[in-house]
Amino acid sequence: MKKRQPLFHVVKREQAGPSRQILAYVAAVVLALSVGAVLLTVQGVEPVTFYRQLLTMGIPGSRYPWRSVENFIKLFVPLLITSMALALAFKMRFWNIGGEGQFIMGAFWAGFAAMKLGEILPQPLMVLVMTLCGALGGGLYGVFVAALKVRFDTNETLLTLMLNYVALYFLQYFAETKTEWNFFLDANSARPKFAKFPENSQMLTIPIGPFQLNLSLLAAAVICVLLYIYLNYTKRGYEIAVVGDSPNTARYAGMRVGKIVIRTIFLSAALIGLAGAFQVSSAGVLSTSITNDVGWTGVVVAWLAKLNTVGIVAASLLITVLQFGCQAASTAYPSIDANFANLLQGVILFIVLAADFFTRFKLVPRSRKEAVK
Amino acid sequence: MEKQQYAIEMRGICKSFGSVAANKNVNLNVRPGEILALLGENGSGKTTLMNMLSGIYKPDSGVILVDGQEVVINSPEDAKRLGIGMVHQHFKLVDIFSAADNIWLGDDKSGAILKKDRYTTVRDMAQKFGFDIDPRKKVYNMAVSEKQTLEIVKVLCYGARIIILDEPTAVLTVQETAKLFDVLRRMKASGHAIIIITHKLNEVLEISDRVAILRKGEYITTVDTASTDEQRLTEYMVGRKVELNIQRPVVEKTRPLLELRDLTIKNDEGAVAIDQVSFYIRGGEILGVAGIAGCGQKELCEAIAGLRPIEKGMMIHKGANIVGLPPKAILEKGISMSFIPEDRLGMGLAPSMSVTDNMLLKKYDQSKGPFVDRKTGRAEAQQIIKELEIVTPSTETPVRRLSGGNVQKVLLGREIKAGPNVIVTAYPVRGLDINSSYAIYDILNRQKKDGVGILFVGEDLDVMIDLCDKIMVLCHGRVMGVVHAHKTSKEELGLMMTGALDLRNKHEDKPAGIARDSRIEDREEEEG
Repeated sequence: MKKRQPLFHVVKREQAGPSRQILAYVAAVVLALSVGAVLLTVQGVEPVTFYRQLLTMGIPGSRYPWRSVENFIKLFVPLLITSMALALAFKMRFWNIGGEGQFIMGAFWAGFAAMKLGEILPQPLMVLVMTLCGALGGGLYGVFVAALKVRFDTNETLLTLMLNYVALYFLQYFAETKTEWNFFLDANSARPKFAKFPENSQMLTIPIGPFQLNLSLLAAAVICVLLYIYLNYTKRGYEIAVVGDSPNTARYAGMRVGKIVIRTIFLSAALIGLAGAFQVSSAGVLSTSITNDVGWTGVVVAWLAKLNTVGIVAASLLITVLQFGCQAASTAYPSIDANFANLLQGVILFIVLAADFFTRFKLVPRSRKEAVK
Repeated sequence: MEKQQYAIEMRGICKSFGSVAANKNVNLNVRPGEILALLGENGSGKTTLMNMLSGIYKPDSGVILVDGQEVVINSPEDAKRLGIGMVHQHFKLVDIFSAADNIWLGDDKSGAILKKDRYTTVRDMAQKFGFDIDPRKKVYNMAVSEKQTLEIVKVLCYGARIIILDEPTAVLTVQETAKLFDVLRRMKASGHAIIIITHKLNEVLEISDRVAILRKGEYITTVDTASTDEQRLTEYMVGRKVELNIQRPVVEKTRPLLELRDLTIKNDEGAVAIDQVSFYIRGGEILGVAGIAGCGQKELCEAIAGLRPIEKGMMIHKGANIVGLPPKAILEKGISMSFIPEDRLGMGLAPSMSVTDNMLLKKYDQSKGPFVDRKTGRAEAQQIIKELEIVTPSTETPVRRLSGGNVQKVLLGREIKAGPNVIVTAYPVRGLDINSSYAIYDILNRQKKDGVGILFVGEDLDVMIDLCDKIMVLCHGRVMGVVHAHKTSKEELGLMMTGALDLRNKHEDKPAGIARDSRIEDREEEEG
């Protein structure tokens, strides 16, 4: 009987250090960009120029460079907050796939507050009220699922997923129903169309020269720091880790698992609702595409970053650069559009997962291994 | 016989996982009609070695010969074709299928259609070796011993001539073990080669013809069973002289610390798991709980820890009824429960979290302020690592990465650190080797000397007879009686475990399991 041996053996590595892991990720991103470069060349686009434009996001040479930065922040903040919030739920192994729905609910109730109270309240108070309404709207939408899970042990993945569509069609109903009572719509338009919010509900900005720093960026930074401390150092964060690791152990240690699940999911969903409120307040108008898919992209970001706070900041920055940069760069090339960003994002995710495999395992050629012996 | 060709021979087998060598240059051989015992501590590479025979792993180097022919076993199918059959520790059966269908499922020759004659085929095969099995019975209705029988019949049906059994007696009672050994002897007589993995020395001596010993992945030697004894086998296995006696210090007993009266508990399916059980534990004694796996031990432990609702009855701790209290309140009363499930990590530890974090599990909430006090946790972790000789790279290593014995020491160490007055511990030495087991018995005995009451749910009757003061036997959730450990025998316990012997009313003057000096108030009223 002839020996049949595979060419390579998969061998587990010693625990890889963080530097090695970061190196692997950087290599993965570079590799993904080179795959993208090949695709670009096939379409007759010069990849180096394209990538330069993508990475600079069309800022140099623009007549209003600060405007680009402002728009970038508007894309970045919702994604960052949503990813952080999802990671919070994922730490507890609660698969909250309902970011889209919670985001829409946050945006909707913030919009509700803006339309009802926008003319009455002064701007700072108005923004605060919108934020609170958004957080509460998103939070309650999420907590509904958590309560069902705790009470009846329902599957949270399915429920949060389905509720995304409920939220979307709920919003669409208001977007398309032209009647007397629907105060969301523009009264002056014959076609159903969301009305612009009153001036007072615009997100606050801090002027730095011609640049208007969106206050939501500061809020997001504070949220990141607080969540990091919450998860890593507080008793509540410890509870989340234990419940995520083993609910039986948590019960055994005297923790009230149901309470912890409900509290954590409320927090997670409320933060996503908050991101929704920030988004509509910055945009100044509701829209059925208000989420910009952050509920989905956030899941990708959270996993790319392995739920690590610093990683989430880096990953959401990377993805926003890709999306925003592609938009900016594609204006110069008719054959490329923003979908290219999605493609690149997919390739990156795929290669990073592969890189992750190689930080944990290595392939050893059969012959070399025997030579070692 | 001496000249006869080996049914299986392994020469110079090496296998490593990463940098860990699981097997180093192992030689092993079995003749047809012979029973070889494979002996070794945990992590000595017994299962790895056998998995290479059954095609689950492949050796890095070395050769395997079947009937003198060199072979390469790439998959379990290859192994099956070569006539090698393995009965795994964890059964690989489809629960909702009948016995015959389970056999049909893995048979290459059976074709795609379920034939009517499958029941008779299986029955014939079973009768040939004296198995007692109903081919139409569904697996989920089977007791553990029946499932094991089915596994053995299965490999026989596939034409295996070399049969490997991975710790087959771990799940059996004394009587069932005896039955299994009868079957093995019959198989041996019909020319099968049998390899049996175990770490119970008395069984090795009883059943095997030769014993092969592994230590830390290294092949030590193969000896004839007839020319060896327990003491020598242990030395081969551990590598040095070991004291094989378990201490049973005599301690002044106190009044009952924990008493259960007419306790009834239901299991997850809603059936009665513990049926009107009464017993008590005094300070300074170890009460053993013996019983076949799954006869209510888990439910009992969970109920004491407050994790499972109690249907009926009383649970009295130091004179106060604690039925219905939340787990936290029970913890605070000083009742510690540690249950080592089959997977060893299921309850009591958070496997992905560090040793430090696991030390804090029950007291993270006691520190002041909103933050977890990891400093104290780390200090305590260092302390128990030192005291109990836990092998770990650091206090920040996730518990999941430690080996079984060390995981169990972390768990027991934490429980003892909390200074409980009642310790409920189930299977604390489950799957541990001799050294670690003795370390655990030592820990328990030290607690006993400090006046702690210990409920010890165990598997190994020999150990329980040596370690416990009294042994309570459960059968289908009912108490079959409480006996003094130094007055009982394995046979008596075995009969009680199967329900054949009921000693509840042996002493008619005294109701079973009820202490006369409980401090419960209503009892005094009754008497008064």
